[in-house]
Amino acid sequence: MSDEMTDAQKEAFAAKLRREVGNTGTPTTARDPVNQPMIRHWCDAMEDANPLYTDPDAAKRGPHQEITAPPAMLNAWTMIGLVPRVSDPEDPASGVYAMLDEAGYVGVVATNSEHVYHRYLKLGDHLTGVVKLVDVSDEKQTALGIGHFVTTETEYHDQHGNHVGSMFFRILKFRPGTGRTAGAIDGDSTTERPPRPRPSRNQNTDFFWQGSRGGELRIQQCLDCQRLQHPPGTRCPGCGATNMGHTVACGKGALYSYVVAHHPRVPSFDYPLSIGLVELEEGVRLVSNITDCGPDQLKVGMPLEAWHMQTHEDVSLPVFRPARLPRNLTTLAFDDVNVGDELPLCPIPLTPTLIVSTAIASRDYQDVHHDRDMATKKGSEDIFMNILTSSGLSARYVGDWAGSDAVFKNLKIRLGAPNYPDDCMTMSGSVTAKREADGEAIAEISFQGRNSRGPHVTGTVDVALPRA
Amino acid sequence: MTLKYAYHSAIAGIGATPFTKDSGRTPMDQAVEACLAACEDAGLPPEKVNGMVTYSAEQNPEIEVARNLGVDELTHFSMVHHGGGAACGVIAVACQAVYSGAADYVLCYRAFNERSWHRFGAGVQDRPAGAEATEVSFSWSSPFGLVTPASWVAMFATRYMHEFGATTEDFGRVSVVDRAFAATNPYAHFFQRPITLEDHQNSRWIVEPLRLLDCCQETDGAQALLVTTAERAKDLKQKPAVIASAAQGAAEDQHMMRSYYRDSITGIPEMGLCAHQLYQSSGLSADDIQTAIIYDHFTPLVLPQLEEFGFCQRGEAKDFIRDGHLERAGRLPINTNGGQLGEAYIHGLNGIAEGVRQIRGTSVNQIGNVENVLATAGTAVPTSALILSQPN
Repeated sequence: MSDEMTDAQKEAFAAKLRREVGNTGTPTTARDPVNQPMIRHWCDAMEDANPLYTDPDAAKRGPHQEITAPPAMLNAWTMIGLVPRVSDPEDPASGVYAMLDEAGYVGVVATNSEHVYHRYLKLGDHLTGVVKLVDVSDEKQTALGIGHFVTTETEYHDQHGNHVGSMFFRILKFRPGTGRTAGAIDGDSTTERPPRPRPSRNQNTDFFWQGSRGGELRIQQCLDCQRLQHPPGTRCPGCGATNMGHTVACGKGALYSYVVAHHPRVPSFDYPLSIGLVELEEGVRLVSNITDCGPDQLKVGMPLEAWHMQTHEDVSLPVFRPARLPRNLTTLAFDDVNVGDELPLCPIPLTPTLIVSTAIASRDYQDVHHDRDMATKKGSEDIFMNILTSSGLSARYVGDWAGSDAVFKNLKIRLGAPNYPDDCMTMSGSVTAKREADGEAIAEISFQGRNSRGPHVTGTVDVALPRA
Repeated sequence: MTLKYAYHSAIAGIGATPFTKDSGRTPMDQAVEACLAACEDAGLPPEKVNGMVTYSAEQNPEIEVARNLGVDELTHFSMVHHGGGAACGVIAVACQAVYSGAADYVLCYRAFNERSWHRFGAGVQDRPAGAEATEVSFSWSSPFGLVTPASWVAMFATRYMHEFGATTEDFGRVSVVDRAFAATNPYAHFFQRPITLEDHQNSRWIVEPLRLLDCCQETDGAQALLVTTAERAKDLKQKPAVIASAAQGAAEDQHMMRSYYRDSITGIPEMGLCAHQLYQSSGLSADDIQTAIIYDHFTPLVLPQLEEFGFCQRGEAKDFIRDGHLERAGRLPINTNGGQLGEAYIHGLNGIAEGVRQIRGTSVNQIGNVENVLATAGTAVPTSALILSQPN
């Protein structure tokens, strides 16, 4: 296609794509008003437990006095849904997408989403969105492929014509197989890596490795005095009994000490390599890897949770990642929040179920989010998380820290490395500004979610916090 | 319990090869050269030697060294466990041998090509899995990539920093002290190459929080020491360095380099056990020590050693160091040969030889009025220590 185009042809094609820039399309009215089932479905999929979204009693006591929709759902309401899949030929943005599809730019990823919330949506609100085509970029070489960025702005109004929110949105339409890293993202470095050193084991320690193979973290326990011991021994150091069994640890612990290895490099491992000494809630310590966070995010005392990493056909190692802390039940007061405060790390395991259920909960039926064959055909390695979910999970992360009464004023995100299944994205964030505007006390939070490939989502959010 | 051989024995001879990065010779060659040099230093014909003690990781069997030395009969020979942790342990065992009458003249030695042949710093990454206890012990760390001596020590260092507020600069100050002494020791690898704290802070990470300049060298070379009774030593060529005491220690829940499971991991209880034995049997205390060889395979573990021997309170070694007490004019100049960071890494034996020189008054960095010298051995492993004193 375009690689056979001359520069003049490329310019002509871009000009054609830009013909409708500045024009708005036909208003799209949501199929359904804001409703509890869709909200509940969203909250379940996102694991967002803020009671203001689902519990009428809690909502009555909250800042809005009634049930509201999670603000990050803003553009879910007017999503076109699964059927009918027709696009309005008069719509400027749809027209550009269709032209790009026809020219072979069938791959699609969203790269930016910036919500502004004028007010929270209540049950029964019926939204209409008007999309304006803002920009179509020149052809760009990106990591995913050669393509054009298409930028739109959508204004949302309720059934009374009141302006409730807006969205700045950018997607990349690209030609599959033309990426800089095509075929090499998961490439040689991982596939040709020799396995890790095999754990040595004997009759005294088999129970541990049998347990970890089955997803259990087993700690040796004296069956007479119940004392725990790790590493295992042949006899209880407390009472001298030889009657040794084991207990299954709950997998929660805290980082007691850690190192970050750089040299020498053993080919089995990725460097820099984080290795921790983990103190389990049960009181014993063990050496393990700290996964799903950067070496610079390690802190003595940080809460951790175990998972099991398969390293050989018959071996899994118990390793640890930052623990997801419980939701903050008391909304932070503006005066108790300081610029520089760090939000606790939060891991989000990227299961296929999470990726598919959140795509559907956000009414995003693009096949690349649930159909692996179609996703690979369109230039992805696998199905990947949709941008509404990246927004929703970011909002959940900030909301779980700030507390249920924090009011989101906006939510701006930029996407990088895709969230593919069987990885883990770990959220981190900090308070980057505080200000008072229009009688509201606003804290700005900057956050990032990183997966094993790098930053997936980077963004900021303004939340209004109650006074002390 | 007290050590009955206190003040009974002495180091009568020291000998070493040049310390290099690529000797071009076999370790056996170097072992024999160092042993002959120790005998010659003492003025003892090698055939009089009848005891030999070395320590694990040594690849030159004592019987082959003896054959090359022309030693016909050995009545004591032993191998002390735990590598560098046994540096003073070999002296303790030699003391026991001459005190008991099992031997008259005992050679303790270490020889290897630790840089040009098998690199010691590479750790245990190539060890195959097995079922024996030593192999199984590595299953609790190696599958996670904790495979090098630097990484094993770094785990203690992070916790020590967390509990006591020490910084990597405090570790760096140890390195700067070592290199300052090495700079004036022509025998040191880093002769005339001192470093600044800034150099230390700019050196690359090996295993955080350890930088390159926190880690000792890897060396090709050999060192030998000749131990006999203090009485016999009087008849030899050199002023005897009397062994006031020498002791070994392994403490509760001891593991090889990874004693991570104790209630506290910021002290070195096995070194405390050595300190207790040394002080009790010799009647000396920290106040009686003018200079020390503090085992410095990695700088962070120098700090708790100072605390275990009572030169400062627990957690206060960082302040002791910041106050300059380890330097040339300080309260306790350490590692006056340049230590294992500056001179050479002969698993502690070269440091003990420096202790002997301090007693003799022949160190290139001689400290004034030395009565007693402390030397310690490898930390994180079961360890050992000794005090050398002036003959009376």
